[in-house]
Amino acid sequence: MNSTAKHLHIPVEHTTLSNGLRVVASSDRSAPFVTVGVYYQIGFRLEPRGRSGFAHLFEHMMFQGSENAGKMEHIRLINSSGGVLNGTTNYDITNYFESVPSNALERVLWLEADRMRALKVDDENLRNQRDVVKEEVRVNVFNQPYGGFPWLDLPPVAFRNWPNAHNFYGDFADLDAATLVDVQQFFRTYYSPNNAVLLMLGDLDPAEAFALAKRYFDDIPAQPTPPRADIAEPPQTEERRGEVVEKLGPLPAIAIGYTMPERDTPDWYASAILDRVLHGGRAGRVYRKLVLEEQIAVDIEGGVDLLDTNGPTQMVTRIYHKPEFTSEGTVAVYDEVIEELQYRGVAQDEIDAVKVKFRSEYYATLEGGMGYHMPRFGLMHYLACFTLFDGDPDRINTILDRFLSVAPEQIQSAARKYLVPRNRAVLMRLPVNPGGAQ
Amino acid sequence: MTSPSVSAPNVLRRTTPPALAPERPVAWPTRTIRTLANGLQVVLVESRTFPKISANLYFRSGNAVVAHSAPGLAEMTATVVRSGTASRSSREIEEDLRRMGASLGTSSGADSSAIAASGLAEFSSGILELIADLARNAWFPADEFERERRQRLEELKVERTSPGFLANERLRRVLFGEHPYAIIAPTEEQVAAFRREQLVEFYREHYVPADSLLAVVGDFSAEAMLDQIEGVFGSWQAPRPESPKPPAPPHYSGRRVYLVDRPGTVQTQVLLGNLAITRRDPDWYRLILANSIFGGAFHSRLVINIREQKGYTYSPGSGVSALRQQGFFTVRAAVRNDVVAATLTEIFYEMDRMRALPVTAEELDSARNYLTGIFSLGVATQDGLLSQLSTVYLDELPEGYLETYREKIHALTAEDVTAAARRHFDSANAQIVVVGDRAQIGDQAALFGPVTVYDTRGNITP
Repeated sequence: MNSTAKHLHIPVEHTTLSNGLRVVASSDRSAPFVTVGVYYQIGFRLEPRGRSGFAHLFEHMMFQGSENAGKMEHIRLINSSGGVLNGTTNYDITNYFESVPSNALERVLWLEADRMRALKVDDENLRNQRDVVKEEVRVNVFNQPYGGFPWLDLPPVAFRNWPNAHNFYGDFADLDAATLVDVQQFFRTYYSPNNAVLLMLGDLDPAEAFALAKRYFDDIPAQPTPPRADIAEPPQTEERRGEVVEKLGPLPAIAIGYTMPERDTPDWYASAILDRVLHGGRAGRVYRKLVLEEQIAVDIEGGVDLLDTNGPTQMVTRIYHKPEFTSEGTVAVYDEVIEELQYRGVAQDEIDAVKVKFRSEYYATLEGGMGYHMPRFGLMHYLACFTLFDGDPDRINTILDRFLSVAPEQIQSAARKYLVPRNRAVLMRLPVNPGGAQ
Repeated sequence: MTSPSVSAPNVLRRTTPPALAPERPVAWPTRTIRTLANGLQVVLVESRTFPKISANLYFRSGNAVVAHSAPGLAEMTATVVRSGTASRSSREIEEDLRRMGASLGTSSGADSSAIAASGLAEFSSGILELIADLARNAWFPADEFERERRQRLEELKVERTSPGFLANERLRRVLFGEHPYAIIAPTEEQVAAFRREQLVEFYREHYVPADSLLAVVGDFSAEAMLDQIEGVFGSWQAPRPESPKPPAPPHYSGRRVYLVDRPGTVQTQVLLGNLAITRRDPDWYRLILANSIFGGAFHSRLVINIREQKGYTYSPGSGVSALRQQGFFTVRAAVRNDVVAATLTEIFYEMDRMRALPVTAEELDSARNYLTGIFSLGVATQDGLLSQLSTVYLDELPEGYLETYREKIHALTAEDVTAAARRHFDSANAQIVVVGDRAQIGDQAALFGPVTVYDTRGNITP
């Protein structure tokens, strides 16, 4: 096979405004769009106790009106400029982003600055979005087969510290208890320029983009550094197990999660490659063994969000298996895959192939959008995480080599150290109606 | 890299949004188009920022051509086509893909089947060779077929527990009657009856070069890529398949309600719709503009009404689905059980308002900008480009469709929008599907027309 690996270099420029807002620009003039994001370093892990689901509910409130752009005005201005927008709440970050034709860059910055400066929302907005969020939870969790599996089911089994272990979508009672005072308090605490990064990508000149950023954001006052919640987990000494009822789907499902090493340590890089050995599609060892060879499972997915989390994180395997097999027996076959990896390690040619795929997926993530209309969402997302978590957006160009230089013995060693029962949680999702019999 | 120092004049803070800067023209990616001697149509676009390629091979036959003989057979064929060729085992195919950093998808919709692969540009010839191997030499190993069939049976059971699937299934049945588009999934009995020979037969007949499309986007020079494609696909020969003439969709009249009963469910899936048009219809542009104002964007009347004002639902919306022979218009919302009647009332109010009254100049302007803007955003990724290219070539849209889309949208008027709404938002004859708990929503649903109740397996229940 012909192969001349081309080295990708993403242009990255960054600066910090006087209020502490970090600003990152990456120019690519091949198509006339810009993608803009504001990432705040606050996620559902850090929401206040007794207010489960608040970080996400708050994200909705950021679309309800700011000082100079009333309810629906923000959305109208983006759509009518020819663009799309969204926001998401994650473990350690909440993001707001837009893709628009490049002539709307200044307008987007004005809008994002306006809502970073001041929210203008009332009780009516809060009631409305509380109702919307409840329907979001129903449509995604209560009324879907395997809804919330395992992102809502596994953390309470795997973790002991509330920030890592609570219901991230929120108990309805907690959502009902949220007040406008909570909203403004949360906004003041976490939505400050010094707790955020602004990203501008695409058809732009970085110097001009920085000047616009300064113009609209520089006079937003900084706030005291938000309190850093203690998200450390107490040491785990034995395997953790849990069971949840599956009310709709006919197949038993299992989630197996191993807690990963700390960010940016040698083991962290090794575990990323280890994950791809296990989970890299149909050639991955877990899929091959349980779906293709033993034909126990109907489907298997797995992976770990290493780059966009900054705290206790698990590599999770999700197994949907045929009802005639037991979940215990299925886990035992899964364990054979893990044990083989621990005893025999991984051959060089397998690692080489996994790394080629890793490189390809990294590029695909940077290039791609969120759907067809949010180009370079992946590039924006990683730039934000490298800035907020590592203080170094240039990692976008250097981190790949760190993953690709992991040695075979590091992978085996990480498998022996981390893929052990006392470092994992196993969640069984058991159907009320196994096999779907009527 | 450190940033240049920046300075900006100290201006008063503005309280109104900045005007848009002058628009930068959209430079449509240059397409290289060639038809090989065997009839394979090739469309190439260079996209050189990232060292990747994406190559999709489309055949113009999908589940519709087998809907009356073996529903779902095209999809089953596509599923098994990746499981072995004359020279590669299933495992070798997966390992070859990984070695090239490639991912592969094989699928079949109503109108087409596809072998789609993407990976690193440095392996482009290997990726093309693998696609060609699957297209020409697939072997359908009996044990792989058996495993995939068994998996499909389990997946079908899972699908029947999803409200979205149940709603789509029922609406398509109602709108399309005897037309092949009525069927979105086979039954378990039908899947159990598939034989390997049927897959091989479908493959021989429909995976052929004539009239098929190979679209490739990525980091290559078009000239060199054409040579590679000629080398890999040029010797492929097979007869052109016959395309049967399907029956016309049924004529229905009056609002009717189809309730799929799911006892105990905590939310109701509402989906209503009517037959509309294809992308080749002259009304297409008018219709999608009307849809955009009605419920096709975040800032649309339906979303503002039932989400942002009333809080009935999280993700309402409307859309026009353009299958090759026939399109249809749909409105959907997953709502809490006590507001099913209220939601339907608001949906019909908004449909009728679109039919009765002109949209405002501001709405018109905003929606035109929205449609042309997102059309341009769609060419900025390789996946987006491929999606646009396949739409144009598979739906046989006129040459210049991409280049003229924006000006055609910008030329539309408020009268065009009203005319399209009157023709295609058929509120008087809308077919309404609700998936939910009959005990909680039956009375509400009955306010909107005669109700037929189904169980989740699709059987009518008294």
